[in-house]
Amino acid sequence: MKVGFIGLGVMGRPMALHLQRAGHELHVWARRPASLEGLAATVCATPAELGRQCEVVFTVITSSADVEAVALGPDGLSAGMAAGSVLVDCSTIAPDVERRIAARLGEQGIHMLDAPVSGGAQGAIDATLAIMAGGEAAVLERVRPLLACLGQRIVHIGPNGAGQVAKACNQMIMVAAIQATAEAMRLAAAAGVDCARVKQALAGGSAASRVLDVMGERMVKRDFAAGIEARLHHKDFGLVREAARQSGVPMPLTAAVDQQLNSLMAQGWGRDDTASLLRVLELA
Amino acid sequence: MKIAFLGLGIMGRPMALNLLKGGHDVTVWARRAESMLPLQEAGADTATSPAEAVRGAELVISMVADAPDVLDVLRQAAPGASAGLVAVDMSTIAPAAARNIHDELAALGIDFMDAPVSGGEVGAIAGTLSIMAGGSEAAFARAQPAFECMGKNIVHVGGSGAGQVTKAANQIVTGMGVLAVAEAFAFAAKNGVDRSKVREALLGGFAYSKILENHGQRMLDRNFKPGFKSWMHEKDLNIVMQTAHELGLCLPGSAATAQMFNAMVGSGLGEEDSIAVLKLLERLSGQA
Repeated sequence: MKVGFIGLGVMGRPMALHLQRAGHELHVWARRPASLEGLAATVCATPAELGRQCEVVFTVITSSADVEAVALGPDGLSAGMAAGSVLVDCSTIAPDVERRIAARLGEQGIHMLDAPVSGGAQGAIDATLAIMAGGEAAVLERVRPLLACLGQRIVHIGPNGAGQVAKACNQMIMVAAIQATAEAMRLAAAAGVDCARVKQALAGGSAASRVLDVMGERMVKRDFAAGIEARLHHKDFGLVREAARQSGVPMPLTAAVDQQLNSLMAQGWGRDDTASLLRVLELA
Repeated sequence: MKIAFLGLGIMGRPMALNLLKGGHDVTVWARRAESMLPLQEAGADTATSPAEAVRGAELVISMVADAPDVLDVLRQAAPGASAGLVAVDMSTIAPAAARNIHDELAALGIDFMDAPVSGGEVGAIAGTLSIMAGGSEAAFARAQPAFECMGKNIVHVGGSGAGQVTKAANQIVTGMGVLAVAEAFAFAAKNGVDRSKVREALLGGFAYSKILENHGQRMLDRNFKPGFKSWMHEKDLNIVMQTAHELGLCLPGSAATAQMFNAMVGSGLGEEDSIAVLKLLERLSGQA
């Protein structure tokens, strides 16, 4: 199948390569041509041109505004994609923006799924991402074989935007867990206890978690080089705050963690790993 | 002075009336024509569009809900503007939005000043609002005679956006202040102590504040009529949190407070005064 891919960053690039390896004909477009280096794919001049040539287009882009521009802007996907084709947006953006884009594309008979992912760079490389889909069930079934190249757990959450709601829930739990891990490591160190031993003991009990494994390990080693850059979690927490506000639902813990992320950004650690929340605690 | 006034809600109407009382030549415009009637009866001219309202005016004042509304009415007004028009927006919007509007209007030759107010409907009627202005010296000088009809404590804080920054700071202090008083009262009550006595004792010490005095009394009276509606305080705290997010600013107290107001809006207390946060606290502590 002719598959388009836009957004060849830390997450997008390995995902695109999996699709290619599965035998699909890969078409790409990038705002910065440098991100296409080393890819043996058909390079398109604009998203519209890419859209014209592909049955299914994937996007993995950082901000709501950028996804909207690529989808609906001048020379955007909507100017090229045919009726019946599918846009699969794997970005993490605001649910209401996703719904708006889906509605606009729907007027032209173009299908859309929001399919944000969780699992980080390693999950993208290992093709073990969790994929949370929002949109029509029949559309999901059409692209399921493609998504199966990227991850194992593919769940249909609900209509357009529902995948983004699930992703927001994922980010809240995960970053709060990173903060809890950082606080535990900080307490252990302040009490003069070996963090590595604490982490090792906890891994066998009720506090065991993937976050403790991965982020706890980074904290013990004081390895703050990014897996996923903290600025992206900071961005996601802006989306969560707005979603909470629109629903009138209180989120005291999320709000507190959000402030720690603000502090992290102020230190200039946005391009480091979110394990840097430990360093924020060390400021006080 | 010939002044155009755009937006005649709870705050805008009494503010425009005070300009008339101060002897200014006021032309009003409002989205809903019937809101202009009381002003017309008091001697104001009415206009059918913002552009018509500002024709020949030296000063235009806007008092609307949020940043998109400010931008919308001033864009509509711009084609009618005479050279040297000063635009003063007294709504509460984000500082960044105010700066953007300033820059857009500057390109059209209009000097824009942000001048949000504090003091509520009571202050608007009495002409005792606090006015926090951000913009050029020239704009402030032009607006000052109008400000003096509407307010008492008038401060030119700084350049464009500085007024909105001040208002956001005001909402941080009042939001946390109301919550602090409500928590102190909930604490006293659950400990079986008379809240009114606690208030009386605290008024004599370092915990004294206008909020303890005025809002505290209304909490004791369980008078939750607005005043200042809690959904508006939530909106203002959202401006604070959004700005903090953009700047990388750690505001743990404001964040917790914003979530309390968020919960109020979500649980049907949005139309009540922000002191109804006491009801939410009582619910959370099983005191309701």
